[in-house]
Amino acid sequence: MPNRTIQNNIRRLRFNADEMTQQDLADRTGVTRQTIVAIEKGNYSPSLELAFKIALTFNKPLEEVFTYEQEDQNLK
Amino acid sequence: MSYREKENIINIFSGLFITGIFAWSIYQRHLDGRIDLTDDFQLWGKLFLIYAAVTIVARIVIYIVFSIINAIITREEKIPKEDERDKLIKLKAIRNSHYSFSAGFFIAIILLAIGLPSYSIFIVFVISGVVSELIDNGSQMYYYRKGV
Repeated sequence: MPNRTIQNNIRRLRFNADEMTQQDLADRTGVTRQTIVAIEKGNYSPSLELAFKIALTFNKPLEEVFTYEQEDQNLK
Repeated sequence: MSYREKENIINIFSGLFITGIFAWSIYQRHLDGRIDLTDDFQLWGKLFLIYAAVTIVARIVIYIVFSIINAIITREEKIPKEDERDKLIKLKAIRNSHYSFSAGFFIAIILLAIGLPSYSIFIVFVISGVVSELIDNGSQMYYYRKGV
């Protein structure tokens, strides 16, 4: 099975939601701003519950916020 | 630097400081002949209990001072609550520290088996306790920086 990683569109979704700040998103989902930063950077894969909370905050389905994509071989 | 990272740095230095001061004062008493650490296991037991009490009190004081200074500098009065990422990082760091303490325990048993004096196991316990604490806080800092 090819290597896959969890990617996210949180930065773009925040921008589309009137430039919602990371702190706003953190407050709405009940985590710290550092956790939102880590998720955006791809340094932390959130739990399923937190992923749903983030998707609900943007009123988007989960697969529009998070995707499970094949790793870019060029980045290696 | 996040609050948790600062907390880890404080824990590392306070752990080294408290243990260093305590070990140095006990060793001086041993050198002066006021206590004998080579053959008195009951004394070692008492020393470990005193060390635990001293550590708890000193840690509480250091933590309060750190929180006050941090609140003054950052102007954030609220201590950030622990979320799922913090808990995961803590769990992984505790796992790493348990591995290192277990290694210390194993080394202590080996030292006994090859004929070193019995009191050497207590010294190894103290050292492995400090090392495992360093690994605990160091691991947390690593996971906060590099991701988990």
